[in-house]
Amino acid sequence: MIFINVTLKILHPMKFINQAKMYMSGMSIPSLTLPNTKATTKAEKLSTKVPHPFWVIVNKEVVDHIRSWRLVILVAIITIACAGSLITGLMHFKDSISANDPEGSFFFLKLFSASGSGLPSFVVFISFLGPLLGIGLGFDAINSEQTRGTMARVLSQPIYRDQWINAKFTGGLLVISVLFTGLTLIFMSIGILKIGIPPTPEEFLRILIFTFVTICYVGFWLNLSILFSVKFKQAATSALCTIAVWLFFTVFYGIIVNFIANATAPGQFASPDQIIRYQQFITNLMRIVPSQLYSDATTTLLMPSVRSLGPLTSEQVVGTVPSPLPLGQSLLLVWAQLTGLILATVSCFALAYYSFMRREVRSR
Amino acid sequence: MKGFLLSVRTKMLFVAMAHFMWMMTFGGHSVFANTVALYTPYPEITVPPGESIDYSVDVINNSGSIKNVGVSLSGVPDGWEHSLKSGGWTIGKVAVMPGEKKTLSLKVDVPHQVEKGVYKFQVVAQGLTSLPLVVTVSETGTFKSEFTSTQPNVEGHSNATFSYNAKLRNMTSEPQFYALRSDAPRGWNVSFRANGKQVSSVNVEANQTLDVAVEVSPPKKIKAGNYKIPIQAVTRSTSADLELEAAVKGNYEIELTTPTGLLSTNVTAGGKKRLELLVKNNGSSTVNDIKLDKRAPVDWDVVFEPNEIKSLEPGENAKVYATIQASKKAIAGDYMATLEANNPDVSEKAAFRVSVKTPVVWGWLGIMLILGVFGGVFQLFKKYGRR
Repeated sequence: MIFINVTLKILHPMKFINQAKMYMSGMSIPSLTLPNTKATTKAEKLSTKVPHPFWVIVNKEVVDHIRSWRLVILVAIITIACAGSLITGLMHFKDSISANDPEGSFFFLKLFSASGSGLPSFVVFISFLGPLLGIGLGFDAINSEQTRGTMARVLSQPIYRDQWINAKFTGGLLVISVLFTGLTLIFMSIGILKIGIPPTPEEFLRILIFTFVTICYVGFWLNLSILFSVKFKQAATSALCTIAVWLFFTVFYGIIVNFIANATAPGQFASPDQIIRYQQFITNLMRIVPSQLYSDATTTLLMPSVRSLGPLTSEQVVGTVPSPLPLGQSLLLVWAQLTGLILATVSCFALAYYSFMRREVRSR
Repeated sequence: MKGFLLSVRTKMLFVAMAHFMWMMTFGGHSVFANTVALYTPYPEITVPPGESIDYSVDVINNSGSIKNVGVSLSGVPDGWEHSLKSGGWTIGKVAVMPGEKKTLSLKVDVPHQVEKGVYKFQVVAQGLTSLPLVVTVSETGTFKSEFTSTQPNVEGHSNATFSYNAKLRNMTSEPQFYALRSDAPRGWNVSFRANGKQVSSVNVEANQTLDVAVEVSPPKKIKAGNYKIPIQAVTRSTSADLELEAAVKGNYEIELTTPTGLLSTNVTAGGKKRLELLVKNNGSSTVNDIKLDKRAPVDWDVVFEPNEIKSLEPGENAKVYATIQASKKAIAGDYMATLEANNPDVSEKAAFRVSVKTPVVWGWLGIMLILGVFGGVFQLFKKYGRR
């Protein structure tokens, strides 16, 4: 039975799933046995390469994503935007370097946060377009399969339901990870080619962590859209809902916070203590938004001289020397933001998982 | 040189005496007073020492025939140089036509070193007549220089520069070119300044005074005490000495550092860090009652142990432990904390760069949270997966 798996490989997932059914139900298929032992050991070796059904679905998901026009368009938009920010960043690179800059030894990182000619930086583009990509990958993950009736068909195979949703998530995350890692590396390598100075190991580490944070951030939107695709039967509804949430956070939330800030602003004669508390309150309100968490985290990671993200009292500032923070300290500074992002991503996934596992999947 | 001059002078003396003898023995009687006369307009003059006198002497022939007159000087004082010239030549005899005169130029150099007084000598037309000349030397000529200072004693620390004002007086009657030098002990640095410039030699006109500033810097690690610095102004023929005195007071110099010299450390916000400090006495005097102090950011605290050093001998060093406590509200990154060691005489600072680290408690809390959520997801998997 092992040999069948080998021969069929994974060329056609549906076929393979049929075979996998036999494999799992313990049916023995007597055909295609090889005569000598030598060949058997060879076959056994090959058999270890047979992927788990989970990875088969992941594979299929990734293939689906890559071949879809949706992803091609989204990736094209992101790539063009990032290329634009890279070009303007390189053009204005020399302006962003000054002699007595405490970040002098981290000037490669400036490429990521440099902006000019009215074009935002790489980070801003990603924080704006990344969610769209996540939403685009996930908003019809479950419900379109259900409306097409393919889900019932797949799940009628010996594939566990949790494998199905996990694979949906993993496939999307894999595409995002590869895409953003590739994008960042290309961005970095063109930067090296143009500037001629490679990043230091610490800068490289910072960029890697930045990539990880980006993946987490986009992963959050992916999970949110998967959650909505589980909740809503129509793909259009879930797409509209996720876009609505995204729009709310990017546009309206800021307006609402602004409104609250104006309403609760302390008077002219408020004590500094009150003002600080008020500032802290407004900052915390803003931090409910994932994009704020993301921009806090990336700012600190890409600008090592950022020492605090909240308001500072003059007592804390007296005696400070402007200097870059070591990577560990920068990470500790944004640890709350990172934790928040990761938690939001995982909770969204948990919710999606929970509601998918408990729902009726047979009906259309 | 001097010997040579002397020998020339003695030779001249002999010559003059020979003339005189000759004149006394042969010339005395046969002189016709009105045949040849010698004339000079200023037979008696007063000059300072070192002056050179130019006489013009006319030899007048009053006779009816050509006179061939031997002219010479006699009675010139010892050491006085003289020459008798006419028409560019040094002459011994002059021939004068009847009724005419011939002008000779006589040059007499009064030496520098000459007593005040009246000196007499004469120009002799041999066998005929003589012209007495009188030179009064107005003062006693010397060959001396003077180097003086009104304040030859200066007091200061070993790291100070001692400045003296001296006067160099050229008392000779000709310009002198003085080389200035000092016989200071080893390690001392002596420099001379004249006319606003640092110099090693000066030119002083005759009977003039020049102000010379002397700057003396002692060696760094010199003991307190009085030191003599002899200086000299020397020319070929004269020299003047001056002895300056530098009263060096002990200096106070301390250094605050760490045994390794490293002036940076790190501390967790709200945490403590114990540092080993070293107070060194690099001066030449004992430093007493050194107090240790801090100038740290707000809410920071530095405790010294001990917080006072009673006494520190020159070259000794003392160990002090400082415990730096960072403020709880300190933000991550670098702060400057200045530690000071001072007493009324001296004060020294050491600026420490303190890297503040955030406590990792919150980091662990975040990790716990993430682990908790992953645990929850795992529970979900367990409960709802594989139905």
